[in-house]
Amino acid sequence: MMLLIFFILSILLAGFALLSPGKAITKGIAVVFSASLIALAIHAWINTGSTELSYFTFDGTSVLLLSVLALLTLPTVYHGFIYTRDDTLKRFNIYHSGLIGLMTFMTGAYLANTMTVLWIFVEATTLAVAVLIYHDRTEIALEATWKYIFICSTGIALAYLGILFLGLIYGRGDTPNLSFSSLSQVAAKADPLYLKIAFVFVVVGFSTKMGLFPMHTVTIDAHSVAPPPVSALISTTLMNVGFLGIFRVYSLFASSPVLPFMNSVLMLAGVLSLLIAAGYMLKAKHVKRMLAYSSFENMGLVAIALGIGGQGYYASLLLVILHSLAKSSLFYQMGQLSRILHTFRLDECGKYMKLYPAGGAVLLTGMITILAIPPSGMFIPEFMIFRAMVTGGQWLVLVVSVILLTFVIYAMSTRVMHISFSPPRGEGTPVMSDVVNPAETISQFVLLGLVIAACFYQPPFLVDMISKSIAILPK
Amino acid sequence: MVNYLIVTFAVTLIYFASAERLSTYVRLIALHGLLLCGIAVFELKEVNLVNLLFIIAETLFFKAMILPWLLGRIIGRSGVTRVHRQAVPGFYMLLFSIAGLLISVSLARILLNPFINTIYLAIALFTLYTGLLLIVTHQLIISHLIGFLVVENAVFFFSLAVGSEMPMLINIGILLDLFVGALILGFFGLKLKPHTNELTMLKD
Repeated sequence: MMLLIFFILSILLAGFALLSPGKAITKGIAVVFSASLIALAIHAWINTGSTELSYFTFDGTSVLLLSVLALLTLPTVYHGFIYTRDDTLKRFNIYHSGLIGLMTFMTGAYLANTMTVLWIFVEATTLAVAVLIYHDRTEIALEATWKYIFICSTGIALAYLGILFLGLIYGRGDTPNLSFSSLSQVAAKADPLYLKIAFVFVVVGFSTKMGLFPMHTVTIDAHSVAPPPVSALISTTLMNVGFLGIFRVYSLFASSPVLPFMNSVLMLAGVLSLLIAAGYMLKAKHVKRMLAYSSFENMGLVAIALGIGGQGYYASLLLVILHSLAKSSLFYQMGQLSRILHTFRLDECGKYMKLYPAGGAVLLTGMITILAIPPSGMFIPEFMIFRAMVTGGQWLVLVVSVILLTFVIYAMSTRVMHISFSPPRGEGTPVMSDVVNPAETISQFVLLGLVIAACFYQPPFLVDMISKSIAILPK
Repeated sequence: MVNYLIVTFAVTLIYFASAERLSTYVRLIALHGLLLCGIAVFELKEVNLVNLLFIIAETLFFKAMILPWLLGRIIGRSGVTRVHRQAVPGFYMLLFSIAGLLISVSLARILLNPFINTIYLAIALFTLYTGLLLIVTHQLIISHLIGFLVVENAVFFFSLAVGSEMPMLINIGILLDLFVGALILGFFGLKLKPHTNELTMLKD
């Protein structure tokens, strides 16, 4: 019932926001939506395991990812208000209506308990994100939006082929409803060849959303153009949608003989993601693209963690959650950086700590956090992944990953240090023409603080929910 | 009869790989719509009337008429008539295409399943291959668009192949068509200007 209310309310709020006669009303609508999303997340925690509207279930993984979205909704809306404050009313309304739509569709994708419903919501997110990437109406925004829709749609079509192959594992006369519970019953005795093909299509298809090799390029281009609060969502909660699609299918097939094949595919995709991310980060010239490649690198690690199994399962989910918190705060900060420095080009950035100390502090703390340097909470899952590699005897993957992560750490730290302390490499000195209130960084510090706190203490409810999510996976 | 339509469909795919005029692509896309409509009518005898009408409307009106019309408008606006920026010459494309057909037939035999007709599976795989080949080997946006529409046809073809068992999946496939067709062609396709035919502004 609660979910039905949420969906109806979301549709109404998105419509009202689009037709709103004033910015203040639109702001109010966006805040009401955020409150309803938080209420839904609380409801999901209380009713974990229950099913609503037949097609949606509050299981462990969906509750965790929904909670991350709920945690980010208010900061995203707040930074969106700041980003769009000089826009015309029409553009302001379209932005916030699109944002409400995107968060609603992501909620549907998280909670879906059948492959087809999950796929429909994933497709719907493409539509909403396209509206948001195109927000600035520039030629470069058009190009990014075009690429995003084109590659995502191709990927989604491939994921759909994977779903069709999933349908073929049912016996003649059965009704293929493609619910996760139904699939888990037939997967164990299905033809392994069909399972392998379905898995490959699903990985390739959902990698457009997860930002994983081979369809990673789409999110990189979208990041460099999208408004920073939207980049924060694309890089975190939307990537989590792609992760969920792959994780669901992986979990369904984990009890079948194709488990070693799936592990190999994920490890290969993960290592190649790390390789490409490290290479491009070393030559990155655009701050937001660098952060996008950092997300790509983290998703590569998540894929490797899943592929290794054992402790890797727990680590993958913890890494997904903590990465979402850390990366979103860095992208929120990009909104302020652009107002101070008026550029995202690394050559033209510099002296940020002097110009805007609060922002500089966020950038440095965020860098330490995202690179999983203690006391970052992300150190814990990454350490677990490496330990799982050692216990699993994956020495080659371990060595390659460590070398590539070293490149990533070097590339990111030198660039962030340059932005914070060095003068710009280009001509002239940076001029701060916009006064940015240090209070705008509060939400970013809170999110980074949560990630750091996770290094010392992981609350039992979080550990318990992650354990529930991976309970069906082999030990 | 349905087998003749499927073979004709396969022949158009080989023609797709070697053609260089954009107007030829548009005509082939329209022909695909007609062929898919015919295959759907002959194949989907077990689905209910509403579903069948929905599928016919989608193939006959959307795929065979609206999509080619939108493509024609985009080509007219851009002023580009030939695929002059092709990474691979036509002769090699033809060879790739025939190799793809052989691979698809072999794969379909390996994937033999009581659910699905082997010829359907082979042509669905070949359609997917041709679509991806067009996307990978061409540089113009319009060629990418056409490649994507061919991939869409592969999805539709595949869903038709399993359609008698899963009509719901066909409807979802159609939703994908409508969604992408309306959004990509109707909005962004028409907004892209001739000089943005090559997307190079966003790079590292």
